[in-house]
Amino acid sequence: MIQIQMTKNPSFSLISTNKIIQMNDVWTSYDSKNFALEGINMSIDRGTNYAIAGQSGSGKSTLLKLMNGMMIPSKGTIKIDYVTPNMNNKKFKKMMHSIGYIPQSLGLVRNSTVLENILIGSLPRLNKIQSLFKKFPEPEIQEAKKIISQVGLSGKEDRKAYMLSGGEKRRVAIARALMQKPTILLADEIVSELDHVTAREIMDLIADAQKRMNLTAIMVHHDMQLALEYANRVAVIKEGQKILEIGVEGETIVDFQTGDMSTEEIMEMYADDTQK
Amino acid sequence: MTPKNNIIIGIIIALLVVASYNVDANPVDFVEGLPNLGVVLEEMVSVEPKYIPTALWAMFETIQMAFIGTTVGVAIALPLSMFAARNLNSKYVYAPIRALLAAIRTFPSILWAILFVIMVGLGPFAGVLAIIMYTIGFVAKLQYEAIETIDSDPMDAVSSIGVSKWQLIRYVVIPESASHLLSQMLYMFDYNVRQTSILGLVGAGGIGFYIINYIKFFEYGKAAIFMVVVLVAVLVIDWVSVKIRDKYIIKSQHGMEVTAKSK
Repeated sequence: MIQIQMTKNPSFSLISTNKIIQMNDVWTSYDSKNFALEGINMSIDRGTNYAIAGQSGSGKSTLLKLMNGMMIPSKGTIKIDYVTPNMNNKKFKKMMHSIGYIPQSLGLVRNSTVLENILIGSLPRLNKIQSLFKKFPEPEIQEAKKIISQVGLSGKEDRKAYMLSGGEKRRVAIARALMQKPTILLADEIVSELDHVTAREIMDLIADAQKRMNLTAIMVHHDMQLALEYANRVAVIKEGQKILEIGVEGETIVDFQTGDMSTEEIMEMYADDTQK
Repeated sequence: MTPKNNIIIGIIIALLVVASYNVDANPVDFVEGLPNLGVVLEEMVSVEPKYIPTALWAMFETIQMAFIGTTVGVAIALPLSMFAARNLNSKYVYAPIRALLAAIRTFPSILWAILFVIMVGLGPFAGVLAIIMYTIGFVAKLQYEAIETIDSDPMDAVSSIGVSKWQLIRYVVIPESASHLLSQMLYMFDYNVRQTSILGLVGAGGIGFYIINYIKFFEYGKAAIFMVVVLVAVLVIDWVSVKIRDKYIIKSQHGMEVTAKSK
């Protein structure tokens, strides 16, 4: 069980120039009236295992889509390594391959094999013409096989994606993202539909890769417990607003920053979450 | 039944009567004509069996024409469908391609056949060209509709990696729409065999050429034998395509394991 030790020492909050993601007063809306996000400020250090927690519909997934340029904010600014994420931005297009994105639906090509799905991650760095003939350089195939064994899918290279179990599909999606050789890994509720054992296996897998490759992992969860267990920092989103950000070291909460909510309200909400 | 419905049904019946009168469609003629069918059957039985190899050969030619037409037509339709899909292209690309495909579809295959008979002369080649045109118009439409209904999740996930548009087509669009394409090819081949059977009516080769000539010389028995061969061939092709569909398409669409042999 995680102990909450509130250190009210403001000097403890990490101030670093090594920010890989910075969001400044970001607002988004799917239509002109309702906002999915309302004035989000967020800055994420390079190499952090960052979690975004909150209930369904709180705007968590929207945050990830903003980070990989699939959505653009209606107001405010976002910088990924000082570049504005937007699919029409040439500078950003060049760095898209370094952002691994795993949507909640995983986005696997169902009729392709495990190996083919994973090799998709190498496409941006391959010769555009050659790759259309499914000719992959030998080092890329070796790399894919190495990742396949790392994610525990050895022997299943030639299985079609639709034949895999839920846990295996997630491993393929992670492997595809790792094949990109990313610096940032975005994952949207990747373990939410899995049983506890499998969920932890998948989380361990990501944690290992994150440490090994010094990734900045940003994972969306609705399970607060899991977020606290694996992340260095956890942001809690409620109704489009960041209400809280916590720094975690081991089993101790070392940094506690609140937004508009009072501490009592947050503690109450946290208690509700842990009772689930 | 509301009064409004009664009025609508009344109007439909009235229109039916008026239209039948105008086009001379008289059910009495149909009943009176039934015994003529007996005459045809009688003639069929008396046809010498030596005509059957000719009929089979003509059917084989028809199937080959349909095969070439379908294969080449699909090969041309596939890239066109990629340009015509709204989720892959801008309006300036897909709109003209769609207009072209719609124009191709307005002609039934028999009119294409007439056009090609004028262009390349009588014979099966004109028929093959007609089938190619017809196949392009239809398969490209069915295929771009299939592409537009592909699950957007893998498209979004793979686009966000930063792949090129052609890589996206090669690695997501084609595999995800392959089962649709196979299904459409089977349907189109089946349909083209039937189409090709009548293209002979305008001199574009195939078994229809024999049928129309026998009818012209009032040899209904022989014509009927050739028609029975068409019927049997179409039934066999239909049965085979159902088997292929069951084995490869239905299962993959429902995410079931496709096994090479039944367990």
